[in-house]
Amino acid sequence: MREPSAVAESSPVAVTQVQEQTRPWSETLRPYLYVAPALLFFALFFFYPIVYMIYLSFQDWTLLNLEEMEWVGLDNFSTLFSDPDFHLVLKNTLIYTFLTVFLGIAIAFFLALWLNRKAKIYGLVQGAIFSPHIISLVSVSMLWMWLMDPQYGLLNAMLESVGLPPSTWLADPGTALYSLVLVSVWKVVGYNTLIFIAGLQSIPQDIYESAALDRSPAWRTLYKITIPMLSPTIFFLLVINTISSFQVFDTIYIMTQGGPVNSTNMLVYYIYEQGMDFYNGGIASAASVVLLGLAGVLTLFHFLFLAKRVHYR
Amino acid sequence: MYRVWYYPRKAVEWVLLIGVALVFVFPFLWMLLTAFKTLPEIYQFPPTLLPEQWEFGNFAKAWETGPFLTYVLNSFLVAVGILLLQFFTAVPAAYAFARYKFRGRNWLFGLTLIALMIPPQIVFLPVYVEMSHFQLVDTLWALILPYGASAFGIFLLRQSFMQVPDEVIEAARLDDASEWKIMWRIMVPMAKPVLVTFGLFSFIYHWNDYFWPLIMTNSDSVRTLPIGIWMLKASEGGKHWNMIMAGNVMLVFPILIVFFIAQRHIIRAFIYQSK
Amino acid sequence: MKKWKTNLLVLAVSMSTILAGCGNQASSGSTPAPQSSQQAGEQPAGDKKAVEIDFWYALSGKNGEYIEKMVKEFNASQKEVIVKPAYQGSYYENHSKVLAAVASGNQPDVTMVEIASIGAFADAKVLEDLGPYANGEESKYIKGLMGNSYWNDKLYAIPFNRSTPLLYVNRDMLKAAGLDPNGPKTWEELKQYSQKLTKKEGSKTITYGFSTPIDIWFYEALVFQSGGKVLSEDGKQFMLNSPEGKAPLEFWTGLLKEGIMKAPPGEKYNAWDVAKQDFLNQQVGMIFTSTGDLKGLVENAKFEVGAAFLPANKSYGVPTGGANLVVLSKSSDEEKKAAWQFVKWMTDTKQTIGFSSETGYMPVTNEAVESADMKAYYEKQPNFKVAIDQLQYGAPRPMVPGYKELQEVIMTEIQRAVLGQASVDDALKAAEEKAVKLLKK
Repeated sequence: MREPSAVAESSPVAVTQVQEQTRPWSETLRPYLYVAPALLFFALFFFYPIVYMIYLSFQDWTLLNLEEMEWVGLDNFSTLFSDPDFHLVLKNTLIYTFLTVFLGIAIAFFLALWLNRKAKIYGLVQGAIFSPHIISLVSVSMLWMWLMDPQYGLLNAMLESVGLPPSTWLADPGTALYSLVLVSVWKVVGYNTLIFIAGLQSIPQDIYESAALDRSPAWRTLYKITIPMLSPTIFFLLVINTISSFQVFDTIYIMTQGGPVNSTNMLVYYIYEQGMDFYNGGIASAASVVLLGLAGVLTLFHFLFLAKRVHYR
Repeated sequence: MYRVWYYPRKAVEWVLLIGVALVFVFPFLWMLLTAFKTLPEIYQFPPTLLPEQWEFGNFAKAWETGPFLTYVLNSFLVAVGILLLQFFTAVPAAYAFARYKFRGRNWLFGLTLIALMIPPQIVFLPVYVEMSHFQLVDTLWALILPYGASAFGIFLLRQSFMQVPDEVIEAARLDDASEWKIMWRIMVPMAKPVLVTFGLFSFIYHWNDYFWPLIMTNSDSVRTLPIGIWMLKASEGGKHWNMIMAGNVMLVFPILIVFFIAQRHIIRAFIYQSK
Repeated sequence: MKKWKTNLLVLAVSMSTILAGCGNQASSGSTPAPQSSQQAGEQPAGDKKAVEIDFWYALSGKNGEYIEKMVKEFNASQKEVIVKPAYQGSYYENHSKVLAAVASGNQPDVTMVEIASIGAFADAKVLEDLGPYANGEESKYIKGLMGNSYWNDKLYAIPFNRSTPLLYVNRDMLKAAGLDPNGPKTWEELKQYSQKLTKKEGSKTITYGFSTPIDIWFYEALVFQSGGKVLSEDGKQFMLNSPEGKAPLEFWTGLLKEGIMKAPPGEKYNAWDVAKQDFLNQQVGMIFTSTGDLKGLVENAKFEVGAAFLPANKSYGVPTGGANLVVLSKSSDEEKKAAWQFVKWMTDTKQTIGFSSETGYMPVTNEAVESADMKAYYEKQPNFKVAIDQLQYGAPRPMVPGYKELQEVIMTEIQRAVLGQASVDDALKAAEEKAVKLLKK
């Protein structure tokens, strides 16, 4: 595990070059041929669909009448933004994302500080908290549905055994969204923790040693050294977690289907419903463009931040 | 003074450590325990910890609700098919990005990075329409092709190729090895740890995938395991959680066992993403 | 040790490479890979090649198994047609699957469609006009079940697994409470029964008298019972923001406030599952659910199950429900002909009698209801006759194309009212606003 730093960071390691002048055309072509298959896949299944989706968002269409689309300009977007349900969907998505990202990172940060030791037990605990991350969301969702069953679920049994009132979990509009947050935090915390540990291990030890010589108190070391040194890691996790929270679908589809009363309806589920259930292809594409925009802005931030950081090195 | 408190402190920490581990592991144990209970026992409150009467039939019942052998095989074909495609597209691309200077390189690499950051689920609708045009909906190809190239794989391999010392390549060139040969015979073997890492990541990710098969498949002959498991929810007169959990055990525990064996590799595979 | 693990991994990876080689071969070709022959029944050896058709269904558990069994019988009964059945999840899931599959051109040839969605599919020209195939034969089906079969005066759907909602009662529990084991007949009685059946221990309710999923289907029923309608006759007006639309919600919220009714948690069919599970576990005394659940409930209950009409408000009243069989217009002529042959067989008197007695769904032909077999069965199992008797108070479900989306809007709003998130008035007003937009489309 090395420093979890930049995606874009790539101090160009000696690029082997064939002499420019004498290079035959087949050699000039070679790198393009090498990247062609991969880029062909990206073009076919990623970039072209993005362009097509943007085009679709200006059309009135359903899956059933793809041949008879009608250009409607920005109508889909205005319908979308005037729909109170979509406002609710955006609000749910933002609350869910904020809580998942914040809790997922905060809990992982403290776990990482604690578990970043050599002894075997710490490695085992790291493995344990990481294990949910590699499990299919289908199983995670079904498992938690069962744990959160309001009548026979383990969680309510545990609450009652310590004298607390049972919770409604997924059954009540007031608690359903937070229950989904709980599930995704449970799933992502291990990953975040291990990323933090990798980050901690890349901080040069001599900085800590000099801090120890200065008799700097622990909280001060944390505040003055650890957190600043981890800021690229924190930033990376913010971006990754935010993008993945934006597109939450599996847990909603399996556990709540957007309910009760739309309290867990979020962007990708909304797109799915509009596109696949309600025949509103235009609305679905417009909502997809909104989602793409959100993810795009975040990605841009990420790269700008990295570019700046690399620059200052 | 410290000495006196060392062991009690250590004991408290161990209790806390085990407690934290249980928060993450116990749900899986609960899944396993539930899978061995009888239906009446499922509907007891408060629930029992260990099954009062071990019921082994739930697994067979779950297995019989659909052609699970086909599901397993499909999951396997899809995950391996994707892995192979990704391998054969990523190696040359990564080699070119790592070892050649060519016009548009940064630009093309930038596109790859965008594909790395923005998940493909966002474009499921247009891809579905596209697959319809190709007549590929409800085939395994619809599950494999969209993931044919992995930006993550290219990125990872590129890093690893850049670390191969120049002398190795120069030596090979002196031996008149072709570029093609250098790539496959020298670079790839040297990147073996990275390839294992990437392979595990890709395999687990696609083995677990639910969204894409949900959208793209309609018939049992091409459905994958996560879809089959999800269909266990169907019921009459209440959910049969013991049977549902038995099905999930089949999906989850193989992965957990592999994880236990190859923990180091797998963790690296997932953590590497941040590199 | 480490070395061993690495070797194992390399072995695993290389093995999978080999396997994948085979797999890719197997799955080349653009059609779904393995043509499992056992699924399609015996391959008819012979002269003319049999027509293969795909049939999608949306029933699970025992009911689904019985459908699979019927298909096998059909395949064995003749040599021209081979039907390949595929389960697609609940009605909702089947609906989106059919829609998406039509778009991608690999739609089934025959599918079950929930009756309120027939209009949407017919309007989108997805369905084949069955008139020329049936050629007047459709008169054999029970008239009360044909209400959701026509769109613009053309026959598009044949009744298959048809239902009405029923009131299920735990007779043992009712007897123990000194109540008539045949169950309540009116809303007022339902309330009284619920009061008597509800048992509390301290602040915790051990048994609820009554439970129903807050589902559009039961809401429609209570609206009908109050003399109301969901939509006007021409399908353009939303009629629920009215005293008839409010009465059911006020009734339910009243029972809930009193603590004698339980609104089962969960979305869509998850709530139904909870209601049935509570009923079987004797945690509620009476529930509403479909007659299609009859067989499953009777078999799994450890007490005497009774079925009855839904209690009346101004009158009795229920929507019919379940699904019809449709043939898709995109299929080839040959497939359509084969599909019709299959539909005809599935809904014929002999088959419908078997299906009805094995599930609880209603038989769909007049002949079946009159038949000696069915009568003998009703003699033994009077519960199975309740739905058919109730049909005299039955009405079709709305079937305007937008109703698929509208019904989810209504469901969300009535749940808001029932869960106390909004007043009854506000919820129905909100539903009306959205409905006006949807019905304009």
